[in-house]
Amino acid sequence: MRLIVHNMLTCNIKGVINKFPLRIEAEKVIKKEVDFNPDFLRHMLAKIEWKALVDGARSMGYTELPDHAPALESDEPFLRKFHHALLELNLEEGSLVCQESGRKFPVEKRVPNMLLHEDEV
Amino acid sequence: MKATLAPPSSLISLPRHKVSSLRSPSLLLQSQRPSSALMTTTASRGSVAVTAAATSSAEALREGIAEFYNETSGLWEEIWGDHMHHGFYDPDSSVQLSDSGHREAQIRMIEESLRFAGVTEEEKKIKRVVDVGCGIGGSSRYIASKFGAECIGITLSPVQAKRANDLATAQSLSHKVSFQVADALDQPFEDGIFDLVWSMESGEHMPDKAKFVKELVRVTAPGGRIIIVTWCHRNLSQGEESLQPWEQNLLDRICKTFYLPAWCSTSDYVELLQSLSLQDIKCADWSENVAPFWPAVIRTALTWKGLVSLLRSGMKSIKGALTMPLMIEGYKKGVIKFGIITCQKPL
Repeated sequence: MRLIVHNMLTCNIKGVINKFPLRIEAEKVIKKEVDFNPDFLRHMLAKIEWKALVDGARSMGYTELPDHAPALESDEPFLRKFHHALLELNLEEGSLVCQESGRKFPVEKRVPNMLLHEDEV
Repeated sequence: MKATLAPPSSLISLPRHKVSSLRSPSLLLQSQRPSSALMTTTASRGSVAVTAAATSSAEALREGIAEFYNETSGLWEEIWGDHMHHGFYDPDSSVQLSDSGHREAQIRMIEESLRFAGVTEEEKKIKRVVDVGCGIGGSSRYIASKFGAECIGITLSPVQAKRANDLATAQSLSHKVSFQVADALDQPFEDGIFDLVWSMESGEHMPDKAKFVKELVRVTAPGGRIIIVTWCHRNLSQGEESLQPWEQNLLDRICKTFYLPAWCSTSDYVELLQSLSLQDIKCADWSENVAPFWPAVIRTALTWKGLVSLLRSGMKSIKGALTMPLMIEGYKKGVIKFGIITCQKPL
């Protein structure tokens, strides 16, 4: 699971208000190189929940991201860091944890399992 | 015209009294629990209520679907490639197509669906797509490539999700597409984030059509489009409360092997979308355009490669193969329809 996806995943357990973001408990992180595409990154910058990305990256061992996204047109060094965090860090094994309920969603072989149990629906 | 388009006036003429029967109880699962975890269902209008037994059999259904696809996906991919849906053909085409002809037809199904929904003219607006019931990700990867959009796929099968991710990596698309195990009835996404919500032949598996449609609508962005391509039963005539017993019996036999809990009609979907105030709702019956598909699948199953692979895959695959003639029977007798329903969420 890459952080571009983590930035969209919510915990939809009935009654949970604080559904996003899910905290990452990383057991195995791999880095996979992805082609650098500045236009795509600039477009994504507008959509990304920044704090969730920074915290997620930290949980996966990457601390280079600034606490705030730059307000003006972003330069290449920043975009490279953004690119690495968003697309190249891959959670192979671990869990996504709902901050409110504590429920853990497993990530196995890079695939998050977001299925809810019948009493959570 | 290759597809039969239902002109807008036919939507207005749908009997109004049917809308109330589609409020949440009506299309829910009414199941008896046989000794196996499978369900035999009757989906009839009116008075069906969800019982406690039905809730836990919903989880059994989910597991059944996951296991079915865990077992059969590899086999399908080996013989048919990465699109797990019908091909779109010119009606009455008598030419027997080659394997590559059928693959092209599967691509054409995606293109025709996008065109029918009016998405093709609005390409630039499609930035984020969800593929509900994504299989091994054929549609997701195709659409992501076509529109340069980000695409998330969800499936109940961990085997499919992993395979879909691996294929994305192999095709250098892993920055654009990714796949998760999740339930279409409880999608792990915020409201309104997808410009295009795509359900290609997954609606058949949903036990609660009303909930399924509600979730599709929930995650659609204002101005976004929903495309549902699905197996349905024929529309009921005025005054008809349910299918004939022989028709229901045919569908039940198919349901068991393919883990389909409930059938509804194209009209049912239209009315659900109307009740949720979607606009520009269109539907069509593409049954004539998919007619060559099941005979072609059976032919490939009967080749040496097909038979050997089937035997290796296991009982679910074998049962699936034996059920395919019932699909042909269903289409021939006008019970089963291949429908497309599309709409747009208001701004």
